[in-house]
Amino acid sequence: MSAVLEFRDVSFAEQPPYECGLNAVSFSLAPGELLLVRAPEGRPVTPLADAASGLLNLAAGEIIFDNKPWSARSAGEAASSRGLIGRVFERSDWLSNLDVDENITLAQRYHMRRDPAEALEEARALAREVGVGEIPPGRPARVERITLLKLQWVRALMGRPKLLLLERPISDLSSADAAAFVAAVNRRRERDGVGVLWITDSHEMTNDSALRPTR
Amino acid sequence: MKMLRSIGKWTVRQAQGLSRLLAVAWSALAAAVRPQFWPSPVRNVLARQILFTGYEASRFISLIAVLVGLAVVLQAQVALAKLGQSSLLGPILVMVIIREIGPLLTNFIVIGRSGTAMTTELANMKVNGEVELLDAQGLDPFLYLVLPRVLGAALSIFCLTVIFITVSFLSGFFSGMLLGANTGNPEAFIRSIFGAVSKADVFNLILKSFVPGLLMGSICCIEGLSVGAAITEVPQAATRAVVKSTAALFITSALVSLVTYL
Repeated sequence: MSAVLEFRDVSFAEQPPYECGLNAVSFSLAPGELLLVRAPEGRPVTPLADAASGLLNLAAGEIIFDNKPWSARSAGEAASSRGLIGRVFERSDWLSNLDVDENITLAQRYHMRRDPAEALEEARALAREVGVGEIPPGRPARVERITLLKLQWVRALMGRPKLLLLERPISDLSSADAAAFVAAVNRRRERDGVGVLWITDSHEMTNDSALRPTR
Repeated sequence: MKMLRSIGKWTVRQAQGLSRLLAVAWSALAAAVRPQFWPSPVRNVLARQILFTGYEASRFISLIAVLVGLAVVLQAQVALAKLGQSSLLGPILVMVIIREIGPLLTNFIVIGRSGTAMTTELANMKVNGEVELLDAQGLDPFLYLVLPRVLGAALSIFCLTVIFITVSFLSGFFSGMLLGANTGNPEAFIRSIFGAVSKADVFNLILKSFVPGLLMGSICCIEGLSVGAAITEVPQAATRAVVKSTAALFITSALVSLVTYL
């Protein structure tokens, strides 16, 4: 089975805003696999997720997503391909001039041309699945941080992503809160064959049996 | 030699800035004629932009137009009637209001009101990493952020200019009636205005409202998105956007007048 994501000797020098670089990183992620990456201590900003999204000019190596290197894609094609990636962002996670529900459904409406009402219905179902309850109305600035983090899960799981890039998605949450998300991720791995790149800085995570990391 | 070098550098910088501006304006125009490729969020942003720049500004524009009508149209009516030259009312008002004051004042107001807001909003988004967020989700920042703002500004300014001209004529005429000035009947007034409007005036009006709007939108987007990571760059970007938009307005206005009437 061909890999969803493959890094081939990828190097990227440390530079702002990132606080660490990549040095000859190689791995491949098959459909349904979960790769748990333990980031260095101190929560440095890593370029791994941006690199996997094809957003960086690499110093060396190649990143292949969905059977095609990012470097071989035109700008438009690369943008469309990013629509197949669900992501939980560690930084800059919400557009401040859109309501929370508009934020969640934005990429789906943009890439998949989905009807807003239908996309919102899926978002509500996902919110219930991961234990957020109702999607709060209004701008993200009016919603508390923990709820926003959980709503990022909803946004990442919208549609049928081929790849999930999760940057410390359950940091600062209780294990009960996290369990719902881990279960939702595992369901998609089994059902849809989603590949998952999970970046964490927690020792416990690497031994979490519920997470069932492939590597 | 040092002075020559700095003049050269300045010239190159200006040329680069101009080519960037024209590239953005042209790309926006090219994308604007293919609305079938716009995803629904782009249409939403365009609608919001027109609501903000056009609809919400219409009351203020109308108020200024009423005052201009009182100051210019009424005076022109009274003065021309005293001189026995009422037949010149139409041509003079067309020259003053339609060709110059209408487009210029409307653009000015929109630059001050919406141009600064547009620049500040985009600059804040850039500083807060929201543009990178769009990129990471595969949303083209040009299509999602720039196109609707540029197009919305240009369309709004054109509509607001038409509103401005209409309201200023109406306010001038009716204030003349109320104040007992010799204004003649409404039909003659309307006929004198329409009779004086030539094809060149219509062409002039479209160019003087739409093109500066297009340039203003492009300038504000370029300045807003060119900030770095510091929040202190946001007001500087807004100031640059206002200065450049005003310069673009006057240059375009002068060029259009030259091309149309000489």
